[in-house]
Amino acid sequence: MSGRHPFTLLALAAALPALAWTLPAPWGPAGTFAVALMLCLPARVARTALFTAAPFWLFLFLLHDRVTAVTIALRLSTMIASFVWLVAILPPARLVEALVAAGYSVHFAFLFAATLSAVPALRARAQRIVDAQRCRGLATRGGPLNRLRALRALALPLVLSALHEVDERALALETRGLSAGARRTPLAPPPDSAAERVVRWALVAGCVAGVVGRVLWRV
Amino acid sequence: MSIRLLALIPVAVAINLALSATVDAVNLPLFLDTTGTILATALAGPVVGVTTGVLTSLTNSFRNPTYLPFVVVQVLVALYAWFAARAGLFRNLKVAIPAGLGLGILAAAASTPISYKIFGCSTSGGVTLMTLLGRKLGMSEIGACAFSAFVSDFGDKAVTFGLVATVLHALPKRTAARFPLALRSIGAA
Amino acid sequence: MAGVTLADVRFWYPATEHPALDGVSLAVSPGDVVAVIGSVGAGASTLLLVAAGLAPRVTGGRLAGIVHTPPAGIVLPTPWTQVSGMAFSVWDEVAFGPANQGVARDEITRRVDRWLGRLEVTHLAARDPATLSGGEMQRVILAGVLAMEPALLLLDEPTAELDPAGAALVWRLVRELARTEQKTILVATSDLDAIPDFATRVVWLEHGRVRAAGPPADVLSRDDIWTEGPGSTTVAGVWRRAGLAAPVPLTVAGAVARLR
Repeated sequence: MSGRHPFTLLALAAALPALAWTLPAPWGPAGTFAVALMLCLPARVARTALFTAAPFWLFLFLLHDRVTAVTIALRLSTMIASFVWLVAILPPARLVEALVAAGYSVHFAFLFAATLSAVPALRARAQRIVDAQRCRGLATRGGPLNRLRALRALALPLVLSALHEVDERALALETRGLSAGARRTPLAPPPDSAAERVVRWALVAGCVAGVVGRVLWRV
Repeated sequence: MSIRLLALIPVAVAINLALSATVDAVNLPLFLDTTGTILATALAGPVVGVTTGVLTSLTNSFRNPTYLPFVVVQVLVALYAWFAARAGLFRNLKVAIPAGLGLGILAAAASTPISYKIFGCSTSGGVTLMTLLGRKLGMSEIGACAFSAFVSDFGDKAVTFGLVATVLHALPKRTAARFPLALRSIGAA
Repeated sequence: MAGVTLADVRFWYPATEHPALDGVSLAVSPGDVVAVIGSVGAGASTLLLVAAGLAPRVTGGRLAGIVHTPPAGIVLPTPWTQVSGMAFSVWDEVAFGPANQGVARDEITRRVDRWLGRLEVTHLAARDPATLSGGEMQRVILAGVLAMEPALLLLDEPTAELDPAGAALVWRLVRELARTEQKTILVATSDLDAIPDFATRVVWLEHGRVRAAGPPADVLSRDDIWTEGPGSTTVAGVWRRAGLAAPVPLTVAGAVARLR
């Protein structure tokens, strides 16, 4: 499965939740959840998927009657399992390469990739600022007003330093040709096949048919 | 899109997703997960803001799948922030915080149908408890859902607007001048 | 004409009254290595940004005067802000620039392997750029810019994060690039001791204006560079403090020759 083209994997991960919501309950969502779980098994993330989905089952049983709770829970679990599977099986680098190879604008591929790298870096910096301010004796307890002041002291340096770097990043990206306008050379384009393209379009068509059918039958 | 705005978006998304660590440290029931969206919009306009919001939902949905359906709310937040910026509503806290409260109501109204239809109001433990409380108080199913959304969004968006206003004022003029909407949003242009 | 020509260049950053560059004229030919020195805020970084064609295009602001430069690659002082964010390995990071230029894949491979080797970071090729140390990152970024094979190379404090061995490697590379590949190179640096080793000319900037320009032996042996400027090499400083006679030597070898 992991050798498949990234767009195929993406189409599958999007189709399962879409079908879970458009197929008649409860067998439709049960089926899609089963498929999603089966995908998770060889990718070794079935347990992660189940643990992530478990709290929602609990909340739903507290809020609703059994039938409703099961229906919604199965749909959510399909979505969760599909996402967990996709993250495990598709390295972001491959998806970026697929976008570039397919001729999507390099700006588009850049946004996706750069966001993925920027988030963990800034999260780490947020934690460092918390630790540093704590060393300086920042009071994070007390009434709401005190805590808001502490929030300000923690959040302001984080956001300002991140903004300040935007200028430098822009200069660096420009000098490395990001807006040069030339068609970017794909470095490692993922292999594709006609069969996969057919499967992708079939999945998309299936989902559209599901949505249309759902709308028509309901109304 | 200019290269500077292109470089801004990943940073704005990261701001949306990194402030959770900060909020945990002060133990406040806030999310602040639209800070980057609002800030990016106030600096550079709705296209940058909406893109930030959509990317935030996409990126964080890998860790927390509940984010993806709420992309509609992020888009709405960006549009609201755009109107607020054009009206210079970030010019001081006295104006920004009520504007944030307004957004809180709007965001709660927008997220309720999503939370109800897709999640049955089970998006988190806190929301579940609030919904149960609402039902105990006699509200309808969807009413209780709206109640829990309102409780979490109202304060959150007000604090977010206040934080963004503070950031905008703390920017040196030289830096702010390089972003198209920044000076107008603090009423300085 | 691959050199750099600046004629009476003035530059203002956005929303500032004082120009960061206030009438700079400079001509640099291929094969020349110009070291730009000055106190903080003198305008060295701005000069490099103007020569790179990034000011005012990306920085905003206003430019007056004439600027003629070939396609340039610039390396900025803070390595971690120059990581592309789009590469998940050092190899891809160095390939980022050439790939954006549309260079063919086998040529990219040739260039990346070559520059990883010359910056001595081949062993890092498979690493995630986010895990690199400051010094490693600086070398990788330099490799990434060189892989684009620019005719004009602009370096802003290229050895700031490097240990002495790494710094020596970079200055050696700068000398070779100018000599064997006829690149035009401008370096803004506060590493004054290294200047006699790699620079053919020194430009001393003060408040956005050229205070002095010429071969290192001339500019760095001036007396006022100590009283009003960033100082000079350690050897020159010692010679001056000891009150010894001009001409002031800049290097250990030069001092030894004079003392004998």
